[in-house]
Amino acid sequence: MATKKKIKGNTRNSASSNGRRTGQLPPASQRTYTIADYRLEKPDFTLRQVRNGAAIRYEVEGHLAAEVPPIRESKYLNKQQCLDIYRWMLLNRKMETALENLYKQGKVVGGVYFGLGQEACSCASAYALKADEWLGPMIRNQGSLLVRGFSPRDIMMQYMAKAGSPTKGRDASSHFGDIQKHHVVAPISTLGDLIPVLAGVALGARLQGRNIAVMTYIGDGGQSTGVTYEGLNFSAVQNLGLVLFVENNLWGYSTPADMQFRVKDLAERAIAYGIPGVIVDGTDACQVYDAAHEACQRARRGEGPTLIEAKMMRMKGHAIHDAAEYVPKPLFEYWRKRDPIARFERYLLSKKWLTSGDNQKLVADVERQLEADRDYAVNSPMPKPESAAGGVYCENGCHEIKPKYGVPKVKTGPAIAHDSERAMHLK
Amino acid sequence: MPQLTYLEAIRQGIWEEMERDPTVFCIGQDIGIYGGAFKVTDGFIDRFGPERVIDTPIAESAIVGAAFGASLTGMHPVAEFQFMDFIGCAFNQIVNMVAKAHYRWAAPAPLVIRGPSGGNVHGGPFHSQNPEMWFVHAPGLKVVCPATAYDAKGLIKASIRDNNPVIFFEHKYLYRRIKEDIPAEDYIVPLGKARVAREGRDLSIITYAAMVHLALEAAETLAREGIETEILDLRTLSPLDREAIARTVRKTNKVILLHEDVRTGGMAGEIAAVIDEEAFDDLDGPVVRITAQDSPVPFSPPQEEFFLPKVSDVVREARRLRSY
Repeated sequence: MATKKKIKGNTRNSASSNGRRTGQLPPASQRTYTIADYRLEKPDFTLRQVRNGAAIRYEVEGHLAAEVPPIRESKYLNKQQCLDIYRWMLLNRKMETALENLYKQGKVVGGVYFGLGQEACSCASAYALKADEWLGPMIRNQGSLLVRGFSPRDIMMQYMAKAGSPTKGRDASSHFGDIQKHHVVAPISTLGDLIPVLAGVALGARLQGRNIAVMTYIGDGGQSTGVTYEGLNFSAVQNLGLVLFVENNLWGYSTPADMQFRVKDLAERAIAYGIPGVIVDGTDACQVYDAAHEACQRARRGEGPTLIEAKMMRMKGHAIHDAAEYVPKPLFEYWRKRDPIARFERYLLSKKWLTSGDNQKLVADVERQLEADRDYAVNSPMPKPESAAGGVYCENGCHEIKPKYGVPKVKTGPAIAHDSERAMHLK
Repeated sequence: MPQLTYLEAIRQGIWEEMERDPTVFCIGQDIGIYGGAFKVTDGFIDRFGPERVIDTPIAESAIVGAAFGASLTGMHPVAEFQFMDFIGCAFNQIVNMVAKAHYRWAAPAPLVIRGPSGGNVHGGPFHSQNPEMWFVHAPGLKVVCPATAYDAKGLIKASIRDNNPVIFFEHKYLYRRIKEDIPAEDYIVPLGKARVAREGRDLSIITYAAMVHLALEAAETLAREGIETEILDLRTLSPLDREAIARTVRKTNKVILLHEDVRTGGMAGEIAAVIDEEAFDDLDGPVVRITAQDSPVPFSPPQEEFFLPKVSDVVREARRLRSY
């Protein structure tokens, strides 16, 4: 975390409370800028664009033979929680395998997006949220949707455009959400737009008397958008409990990360916003959880947002049609050795929290669950054509709007009549 | 009954809703201690406190996104755009995140985006636009353009209470130039319903916002020539009151469509098609459009005068249509 030194005497209070409770910041000259880094290794390689024969392609060079470090012990997770997270990761992985099979069987409408290699980031992060807190998943965070209580069949029906999908066929892939129970904000296709929205959720909750943690994700590609900046800056200045995972998986479609930004680590951006920044190994579920948990606790204490950069690699292409041939093979080799599920399995086995017999049972159980969900989803009906009509507006009492956390406490001051004629922009 | 300006009526409407419903709050630039660039929220921060009158950074996408997020928790945000010309900065959030939310994932977005639009104030290209059609074009949004102080108050209250996202265009030329008796008691004006501003039998002018007053002025001149003009004030552009449009066409059989917005892609084209669908057989002449020219709003007063529709345009076209 960026440390703030307490300065006596010269403290600067926030000019307007605005509900922000920023507390006392040290003057700029005395702030320190430390980005916490929980990693046990720091990958060291460079990507270069070179002409190789006739073609231009990427080549990687660097210390790619480094030993895979162990999983870093969590400060917070107990055995059962670790096993929970492990199961979620298995469900995430195997669900995506099932989706790939469904695609190859011609049962999927459109494309499929995978979070292969990123399951620890999706699952362990979402695991830190409470049930009445909110999540905004991005396209590769399907594991987080499972943690929040959606089922594999929900996601399968989305991909197969079925009538029973959470959007009733009206949108695809992970573009769904739920305001009643799961507290998930549905993403849209443009990137960074969830960030101000989740900030707004935290604002709404605070107006109702609750400091909640809200969590969303953005990629090394997506973080280039203007709305990412606007949303994060808004969260920071308003001191809202946004936990932002910047998933640096090294590729934005076919564009390598170092063609998206110039800083060495995206977590450094936290300094620019005035918030704490943390780097974690995105393939280490314990690191991801610990950073998420600490950030959520800060949010719940009203201490504002945190930027967490999770480093890993996207192990498939952008979507199923993309073979990712632009990725140099040695990079795939390097990150394959760091598969989050294999690493966590080894960790659990070494701690004797899991035996190989338990593991087999767990895998079989997950596969059974997926088999049942797959059959359900495949056999469920397509929507009737006319179901496309309606629902453009919320009307005829289809929703009752009520404050989720409680009626805001009202504090009214005096009604002062001002002389409004003086300062006027355009007469 | 007290006489209030169009602006004071809007202020009173938002104030009353904030008194009535603790989930209503304001968010925007300079709306707190400054009271808003046009003073619409003057006195609000003293009364309702900084928690409910939030000054933001200059970040329109964040303002709309945060308003949407707050609405998901059951709040009723009223987001101010300092000038509606700047709505382009939040275009993606409005059209893709907010407008599609209920249709896609059953998430109502009970927020109001409000601000000053329109010209004739020497504001130049970026302080005078009428951007309403960008949002009439997006299914899921409601678009409201009041022309009178009475309607402005009733419509802002109705918009705040609506479960849907409402884009509320306040014509800045009208802010302090029109005044009306405003009832002290709570009243709303329903969205989606037009109003007959003037009864007539010879021809209809279908219009909205500041042009309603231009039409009324033209109607006075025409009345002296024995031409009785009916004026239909649309009030809400989306959803459109198709019945009111059909009714006035059936009554007078001749129609002028008048708006301050530019010609191409303006509301007049849409209304002409609606008339074709609803009341073609009742037409005794072509549907005439009177609009601004297809250009950005020029700054210099003589140029802006050339740009905007004039009373003389309406009078000329009405005479021509009358003798068709």
